[in-house]
Amino acid sequence: MKTHSRPALFAATAALMLSVQGAALAADLPTTLAAPESFAGIADPATRSAAIFVEASKVLMHPRCVNCHPVGERPSQGEFATTRPHQPPVERGKDGFGSVSMRCGTCHQARNFEPGRVPGHEHWHLAPPSMAWQGKTPAQICAQIKDPARNGGRTLAQIHEHIALDSLVGWAWAPGTSRTPAPGTQKQMGALIDAWVATGAMCPS
Amino acid sequence: MEFSRREFVKAVTASGIALTVSRLAAATEPTFAARETLPGRQGWNPSATGAGRIDGMAKVTGAKLYASDFRAADLPGWPSTTAHALLLRAADATHIYTGIDLSRLTGAFKPAAVVTADDVARSGVRVPEFYRGDLFCPVGKTPLYLGQPVALLLFESFDAFDQARVALRDAPIVKFGKETPPVAMPPYGSNRFVRVAGATPGAPDVYSPLKAGWVRPVRFRKADSPVWALPSRTGRADAQATFYGDQIRAELAANNPGLLVLDREFATQSIDPMFLEPEGGLAWFDTGRKSLEMVVGVQSPFECADSVAYLLGRAAASFKPAHINLQFAYVGGGFGGRDHTSFPLYVALAAIFLPGRPVRLAHDRYQQFQGGIKRHAFTMRSRIGVDRASGKIRAFAADHVLDGGGLANYSVSVADVAATGAIGIYDIPKVDVTTVAIHSRGVTAGSMRCYGTLQTMTALEVLIDEAAVALKLDPIDFRRRNALPTDGRTLAGNTYFGPVRTPEVLDKLERHPIWTQRAAEKARGQQQPGLLVGTGVACVTKDYGGGADCSQARVELTPDGRIALFSDAVEMGNAIGTALANRAALHLGAVADEVAVAQIEMYAELGLVSSGDPYTMDQATQDAAARNPRWVPNISSPTSASVGAHVGTHGAGEAARIIFRFGLWPAALESWGIAAADPRAAQWESARWKDGQLTMASLPPLPLAALAAKAHARGLVTGAMVHAFSRWEWSQATFAVAGRPWTARIDALAVRMGGGAFKRIDRRNVRFPPTRNNRFGTSYSSLCGTVVRVEIERATGNLRVARAYSVVECGTALVPEVVRGQMQGGFAMGVGYALLETLPLYEDGPGNGKWNLGQYVIARASDLPLSTLETEILPPVAVGDEPKGMAEVVMIPVVPAILNAIFDATGRRFASLPVTPAMLRGSLT
Amino acid sequence: MTTLRITINGRPHGPVEVRDELTMNDFLREKLGMTGTKFGCGAAQCLSCAVIVDNPDGTSRTSPTCIVPAIVFNGQSIRTVEGHARDGELTPLQKAFVTHFSFQCGYCTAGFLNEGQVLLERLARTPVPRADLEKTILEALDGHLCRCTGYVKYHEAVRDVILADAKRYLA
Repeated sequence: MKTHSRPALFAATAALMLSVQGAALAADLPTTLAAPESFAGIADPATRSAAIFVEASKVLMHPRCVNCHPVGERPSQGEFATTRPHQPPVERGKDGFGSVSMRCGTCHQARNFEPGRVPGHEHWHLAPPSMAWQGKTPAQICAQIKDPARNGGRTLAQIHEHIALDSLVGWAWAPGTSRTPAPGTQKQMGALIDAWVATGAMCPS
Repeated sequence: MEFSRREFVKAVTASGIALTVSRLAAATEPTFAARETLPGRQGWNPSATGAGRIDGMAKVTGAKLYASDFRAADLPGWPSTTAHALLLRAADATHIYTGIDLSRLTGAFKPAAVVTADDVARSGVRVPEFYRGDLFCPVGKTPLYLGQPVALLLFESFDAFDQARVALRDAPIVKFGKETPPVAMPPYGSNRFVRVAGATPGAPDVYSPLKAGWVRPVRFRKADSPVWALPSRTGRADAQATFYGDQIRAELAANNPGLLVLDREFATQSIDPMFLEPEGGLAWFDTGRKSLEMVVGVQSPFECADSVAYLLGRAAASFKPAHINLQFAYVGGGFGGRDHTSFPLYVALAAIFLPGRPVRLAHDRYQQFQGGIKRHAFTMRSRIGVDRASGKIRAFAADHVLDGGGLANYSVSVADVAATGAIGIYDIPKVDVTTVAIHSRGVTAGSMRCYGTLQTMTALEVLIDEAAVALKLDPIDFRRRNALPTDGRTLAGNTYFGPVRTPEVLDKLERHPIWTQRAAEKARGQQQPGLLVGTGVACVTKDYGGGADCSQARVELTPDGRIALFSDAVEMGNAIGTALANRAALHLGAVADEVAVAQIEMYAELGLVSSGDPYTMDQATQDAAARNPRWVPNISSPTSASVGAHVGTHGAGEAARIIFRFGLWPAALESWGIAAADPRAAQWESARWKDGQLTMASLPPLPLAALAAKAHARGLVTGAMVHAFSRWEWSQATFAVAGRPWTARIDALAVRMGGGAFKRIDRRNVRFPPTRNNRFGTSYSSLCGTVVRVEIERATGNLRVARAYSVVECGTALVPEVVRGQMQGGFAMGVGYALLETLPLYEDGPGNGKWNLGQYVIARASDLPLSTLETEILPPVAVGDEPKGMAEVVMIPVVPAILNAIFDATGRRFASLPVTPAMLRGSLT
Repeated sequence: MTTLRITINGRPHGPVEVRDELTMNDFLREKLGMTGTKFGCGAAQCLSCAVIVDNPDGTSRTSPTCIVPAIVFNGQSIRTVEGHARDGELTPLQKAFVTHFSFQCGYCTAGFLNEGQVLLERLARTPVPRADLEKTILEALDGHLCRCTGYVKYHEAVRDVILADAKRYLA
C-alpha cells in the first residue's frame, strides 16, 4: 500500500474513554467495530451519522492512536494512554519527528522490531499540536477533524482516504505482539468513516 | 534476633568442597584478576593526586569490569564459546503450576538441557537456609510467590538462546491449573522494642531491650497480628515488655489535656533498587578438573561463596565439584539489592547441568523487575505524645507491618532496623514499637539502601512536623528541644559511639537561606496565581554497619615504594577502592598503585576459622572459642549498610599503620641516624607525610621509595594482612611484631619481612566486642539534614523541587567528592521514592514480568534541582576522626522534607507514597 | 540473514552474515565481545546502550543499540566508548568525567560519554549562547538514566569542557 508523499496526517489516532485520572487496562479496550449497517435502525440521518462517528471514535481514542496525538509536546506510551508519558522523554520537535538529540526514527525503524518490542513505520512521527486529541471527547475530536484549520486543510473525502488507506494509520491494526491493536480492521474503519461522511458527517453532541 | 544481617551457613568447611579464588594461568587475554586490579601497572591513577577515582580510567574507557561483561572467550584457560541460560518464572501465584510447554522450541531453538524442580531434587542440591523455599516451583504446587522460577533452559549457542527467548516471550508457556489461595506461610518474624527511661536523665533505664533482651510474640492471631506475652511487671522479659508497652499506650490513650497526642497511619510502597546493570553471571563446570568456575558481581562475595558451596555440598557425585573457584567483579550499582541474592545459585546450577560448557545467565530488565530483590512496603501506625507546656516528647508507640514477599531474605532484620531506628534523632523516655514481617505472594523484598529506616523515619519526620505545627513551634526548634544528646540512650538502651552532633546539623539547616526565606517565598507563591510554594525540613540519624562486620585487607610495599592493596570490600560505585587507597595513604604517604577489591581469599596465611552465629552466641561460647588464636566470630561480611568508609577501609588502614610502624619508621630512623635510645625514636606518631616524603621537625624529608628500599634491604616489615571484627565496636588484640608488642583494633595479623613470605603472628589478650552488644540497634551513626523548597502547579499538580540543601555529618570524609556524589545520588533516589517510584505488590506488579522503565519511572536529570542542590559536609571534630558510613543516611531526610514542604505549600498531609501529580491535583481542587 | 559491513571506532568489520532479528547491542556484546556498550533496560529507556553514529555529512548523533537491529547499521560508521581515547590519551570529556568524579558504578558512563561527545560536536558546528548552555546540556542528556549520581557531576563535567573552550562551543 502506498503512503502519502507527505507525513501522514493521523500518525495514529486517539483515545479518550480513558479519563484523565483513569488508567484503563488493555483488557478494557474495545476489540471490535460495528459495521455501518448496524446503525440502519436509527432513522434520523443526523443522529445516525453522529452514532457512526461515536463508533469510529473507538479507534480514534485507542492508545494505538492517541499516544501520538498528545496534548503537549511529549507522546504517550503503552496501554494506559493518558497516564504514561513516553520514555525516554522525547518531544515533538519542530517537524514532528523528535527533538534535536532524540529523533523518532532513531528507535522506530521502518517496521516493527519484535525482539526489541519497538513499533516501527517509515514515517513514524507525532501529529501536530492542532491535532491533539488526548483527553478530548468524541464531539470535540469530531469538530477538530472537520475543521480544515486544524486537519491540515483536508476535505472530508481526503479524511476518509487518509483513515482508510494510509499505512501509518494502518499500523494501529498491526502494532506487534506486545501491543493491543485498534478495534476492528482498517477496512472496517474506512467503511465507518465513509458512512459517516455519506450521512452528513454529523458530530455527536 | 532470630535472623540476622548475615546468615549462618558455615558451608565452606562443612561441604568438603575446596573454595578458592585462584589466579588463572596467564594467556594472551589479561586474567580476570588483572582486569579487576585497578588502575593496573600502566594505567593512569587519577586518585594518586586526588583528581579522580582509582577506577576512573577503566570506567571511562569501557574496560571489561562488570560480571555482565565477561564471556568464556575473555577468560584465559576457559573454552572459547559461551552457552546461554534462560530462567523461566511463574507470573501467577494463585493457581497450581502444571508444567511448561516448550513445543514452540524446535530444531535449532531446542534447549540443550532443561532444569526443573525434579532435576534439582534428583541431584541432591540443597537450598541454603537464607533462601529457604523451592528453588524451582514443583509441578502440582502453587508458586510460593510471583516470579518464582520454574525452569532453567540451557542453550548451546547465543543465537539459539536469542531466538528462543523471543519465541517464548509473552507466550503462555508456563501452564497453570486449578485456582488456589496464595500459599500461606507464617510471618518471617516479629519483635517488640520497649524502653522506659529512669526518672532522671542519668538514672538507669527501668526497662530496655539492652537490659532485658529482644522480645518476640508468643504466637500469632493472624499473620499480621502478633500476640504478646501476658503483662507482668516482674515476670519474664517478654511479660515485662507487654507490661511497660501497654502502660505507654494507656498513657497515650488517656485523655490528658496537657499532652498533645497524634495518632497517624503511614504507608510506603514497594520499589526496585534499579541498579543499572541487571544481575548476570558466568559459570563453567570443568568436568576434567571437577572445578566449578564462576564470575559474578555481588555485594556479599563471602556469603555467595558460602551459599554456592552449601548448594552443591551434598550433591550427587556427578553434580558435585571438588573445587569452586569464584571470581567477583565490579558491580554496576547495588544499593543493597545485590546483598544476599539467590541469583548466583541459579548461575551455579546452569553450569552444573550443562557440564563442560561455560554458561551465562543474565537477567534482562523485565526479568530483573520480576526476580530481583525489592524494598519492603510498610504500613505503620504511630502515636506520639508531646507535653504541651515544655514541647518535649514524652512517649511514642508504633506498630509496623512489612510485606516481605515470597522468601524471608532480610525481612526480620529490616523489621528490627526499622523499629530500632523509629525514633530517629530524638530523646524519648517511653517508647514501644512492635514489628511483624509477613510472607506474601509478592516478589521477595530484602536489602535496599537504608532499609527499614527510610520507611519509619519518613513517617516519623512527617509526624514531628505535624506536632510542631500543632504546638505552634518552629519545626527546627522543636527538633532541637527533643534531640538526643551525646550521652543519651537509643531505643535499645545503649549510647552512641562518639559525639552526637545533631545540634550542629540543626543549626546549619536553620541558618540556610532556603529556611530563613521560607515565609517570603511562600508569599511570593501566593502572588502568582496557580503556583504554590512551600518549604520543608527533616533531620535523621542512621546506623552504619551490620553488627557483625568484618574488614580484611592485605597491603604490600615493593622495594621501589609501590603499594598494592587487597580488600574483601566490594566496589559498587561507592569508590571503595579509592577510599581504601586514601585510608592506607594516611600511613604510607602515597595512594596505592594497585587495588583489588572483593578479594575474599587473599588472606590464607591468617588461617582463620569461625563457628557459631555472631549475632546469637552467648559470651561464654565466644570466650571459649576465642582461645583458639585463629578463631574469629565472622570471617567476611557484605559491603552493605554503609559499611564502606568505616569498616571496609579499617583493615587497610591498620595494615598500613603496621607497615609504617615496623617497616618505614625504623628505616627512617636509620636514615636520620637516630639511635634506638633517642627519645625521638618513639615519636613515630608525630611524623607526617608531605608530598610523598616523610617529615619530622628539623630532620630532612625522606621519600617513600628510599624508605621502602631500606625496609626491604633490612628485612623490616614490608607487608601486612589483617582481619578485624566489629560488633558495634572493634575487636582488639596484641601481637609481637619484630619483638615489640603491638596492640591494635584487629584480631588477626600476618606480616612479611623484606621480600619474605607472609607469616601469621598469634594474638594475645584478644578482646572481642561483648555478645551483649547484639542487643544494640546500633551504636554507629551518621547524621543528615535536608531542607527543600517545592513549587506546585495548582492546575496540573506538577511538583518541582526548586531548591534544596543537604548537610551530612560523617566524621572524616575519605574522598569528599564521593561523599558529595552520594549526597546528590541519595537526593535523586529520595525524590524518586517520594514522588515517582512505585510497584504494585501482587498480580499487576513486577512479578508479572511486564515491568520496565516505561512504567517504573526513576528520577531523570529534569526531575532534579541540578544547579540548586547544595551539599555540605560537616568537618570532623578533630583531625584524624574516623570516617563514618553515609551512603544511606543522605537519602532519608530528602523524602520527609519533600512531604513537609508539600504540606507547607498546600496545607495537605499525604500518608502514602509516592505523592503523584494526580494526588496533588486532586487535593487542590 | 543480511550481510553487514560496519566501521567501528575507525576499524571496518565484515562483511558478516547476521540474523535480521539480532540487536545491535547483542552484535557488539555477544558477537564482537565489545562490552563497553552496556545493556541496561532493553527498551531504549535508560540509554546506557547508546553509541555514536557518524553521518556521511560529517555530523554525528547517538543511537540506542538494544532495540535496533544490527542490520540497520549496515554501511554506517559508529563510535563506542572503547574508541574515544587515542593511544591511551583520554579526550577532554573523558578526562572531565574522571576529574569531576562524574560516575560512581560507571554502568551508565558509556551512554553519557557518547551523548556528551555528540553534544560537543553539535555545538562546535552550531554554537549556543552561554545563557542557553545549561538548558542545552539538560535537553541533550535527559534521556540517560543514572541511579547512583543524581546527574550533577555529569552535567558539571560537560559544562566545564564547553566553558574551557568557549570560543568553539558558545555563540
